Amino acid sequence: MNMYRNKKIAVFFMLPAVIFVVLFIYYPIIQNFFYSLFRWNSFSPDRVFVGLDYYRRLFKDPVFYIALKNNALYAFISIIVQVGLGLVLAAILEEKAFRKYQTFFRTTFFLPAVISITVVGLLWQLIYNPNIGLLNAALKAIGLENLTRAWLGDSKTAMLSVIATSQWQYTGYIMILFLIAIQKIPEELYESAMLDGANAFSKFFYITVPQVADTIVVSMIITMIGGFKVFDEVYVMTAGGPGRSTEVLASYLYRSGFRNDEMGYAATIATIIFAITFVTTLIQLKASKANKEE
Amino acid sequence: MNKIKKSVVLMILLALTLILFTACGSDDKASGSGDGVVELKFLHKWPQPEYSVYFDDMIKKFEAENENIKIKVEAVGDEPIKDKLRILMGTDTQPDIFFTWSGEFATKFVKSGNSLDLTDALNKNPQWKNSIMEAGLEPFTYEGKNYGIPLRINGKFFVYNTEMFEKYNLEKPKTWDEFLVVLETLKSNGITPIGFGNIFPWAGSHYLTGLNQKFVPQEVRMKDYNPKTGEFTDPGYVKALEYFKELNDKGYFNSGVNSTEHNMASEMFYGEQVAMVYVELEEFSEMEEGLPGKWDFFAMPEITEGKGNKNYLTGAPDGFMISGKTKHPEEAIKFLEFLTNMENSLELVEVTGWPSPIIGAVSLDNSSEYLVEGMNAIAQAEGMALWLDTDIHIKISDVYLPNLQELLNGTKTPEQIMKEVQDMALEVQKEAE
Repeated sequence: MNMYRNKKIAVFFMLPAVIFVVLFIYYPIIQNFFYSLFRWNSFSPDRVFVGLDYYRRLFKDPVFYIALKNNALYAFISIIVQVGLGLVLAAILEEKAFRKYQTFFRTTFFLPAVISITVVGLLWQLIYNPNIGLLNAALKAIGLENLTRAWLGDSKTAMLSVIATSQWQYTGYIMILFLIAIQKIPEELYESAMLDGANAFSKFFYITVPQVADTIVVSMIITMIGGFKVFDEVYVMTAGGPGRSTEVLASYLYRSGFRNDEMGYAATIATIIFAITFVTTLIQLKASKANKEE
Repeated sequence: MNKIKKSVVLMILLALTLILFTACGSDDKASGSGDGVVELKFLHKWPQPEYSVYFDDMIKKFEAENENIKIKVEAVGDEPIKDKLRILMGTDTQPDIFFTWSGEFATKFVKSGNSLDLTDALNKNPQWKNSIMEAGLEPFTYEGKNYGIPLRINGKFFVYNTEMFEKYNLEKPKTWDEFLVVLETLKSNGITPIGFGNIFPWAGSHYLTGLNQKFVPQEVRMKDYNPKTGEFTDPGYVKALEYFKELNDKGYFNSGVNSTEHNMASEMFYGEQVAMVYVELEEFSEMEEGLPGKWDFFAMPEITEGKGNKNYLTGAPDGFMISGKTKHPEEAIKFLEFLTNMENSLELVEVTGWPSPIIGAVSLDNSSEYLVEGMNAIAQAEGMALWLDTDIHIKISDVYLPNLQELLNGTKTPEQIMKEVQDMALEVQKEAE
């Protein structure tokens, strides 16, 4: 009995986890900041101290702002589509009329999320191909010839095309999270709403949405962080091109560190990515807490 | 009861994972262990089974001849090896023998002390040294010393569909003006003249490798490609970009070059949707497979107003270097000697169809007449213009290459691009000091 009150023992039991977290998460974050103060590359031992030079350079670097804008766009669209559409899809599949087919649709929508990103990237690269691609062919077939273009090769459409692929892949994943949350809502709530004569829309807005609020916050954080960490899709599909138009922070970090031999600059970008995701997550958590207390 | 059982199982699992982690950490005593067996780590860039089989065979043969040497091979693809090498070079587990391109890409390993000086080894074995084409060795030298042994020597050529050329009475163009006539004729007959995929802009940089060489005087270009003295102010660089852009603006490339892959361009050539494609000598065997008997090739045509040497060819050797930190330099050199001796070079040509820089390894006995002809072109050239993307400092290349896509999309002018290149060249100069 006493054991549960003994703080010393509690600390002792938490120690391994704390050590792990400190060693593998907090320490690297600090180390990364330290590295960003030097000019160095991975294959030479020399390090030149440059202080905050890289931070000054970063805030003057036009590519950084392109990347930042692309990440913001990525996160924004992902939240709207994945969280918004994911929730709606989940609610529809949980409707009585659709429950029979739920397994089929659930699998279908979820399937893209389990395919390796490289495969998805190459697949969509082919779909977007201007000469043999499915998309342009489809547009031509329905008489929208003037909409055809070199999707990934045109700076205006390249970023949106990459983002679209990502929505295709992950909306189903977020949908599953919502399905689970909706299944936990007590059936009585819906029953009493029905007795009161609520239609599907009011049931959705007055019962489903408030009841899954926690999941909404979590999935918004997941997609937002995902939007700022995105790398693979861009790397596989466009490698940042054409020009720099699809550069995102992570691909710019990678390019700086592993191609341009500027590890210090890469560490600087990493610090900024961390700051952005950390601050926005804090804001979201705070906001959701405030909501609950009301 | 059940709960206790579960937690016991969990604890055991946890313990096991921890042991696994710690075990992984202490596994680097393998090389050079007690019993006199030397282990060499060998890193090359051909994981494709049709090519890696050559290296696997060579290693088996070598190990049979040298029982005290074991070779541990690793193969990493073309793009990933560029990053992997950089990372490995910073660790204690450097490969003893590693693949590298020639030019600045190799030079940076030399400058950071990661590459072994092979001058003595070559001088001690003149037979070996003299068997290698000078054009293959030279790009691996730095300040007069040899640091690398070439495995292949590559040239870049326009490969064309002979039937299409015959149909419209076209001949191999010698000058750029003739080239434009050829392109215009094809286009006016409804044929896309050149298949080109620039989604990864190294492809465009190969065009520019040749054009820069043709427009800019040799000494000026060499001075500019050196990170310490690069300025890129010669008007020839702008001209080169303009010529390149003209090909796209006049519709001589397929549409959507910036979203097409190089392989796709080759596929279009095999499918006879385009009349030409700009490829490397090492791809000649694929051309023969894709369009058997219906192709021929020519080098990038001469440009009359260009100030560069007219007898240069676009292309470069690639090959192997030995780590500057290796514990077994003699064994490593022995392996490279073995890999590039006549017998094994003949087999290289046989198995892979690659152009070997060993004099006499490529002959009509083991290769197509085209490969032999291509090798002759290299042998007769006064020099090679090395791939732009690996010949200039990586930071300049990183400005230059993505901008080629902007150039083709029409979002930046040649002057704007060269301005950016010049700015970066100055920054690199400052850092080089």
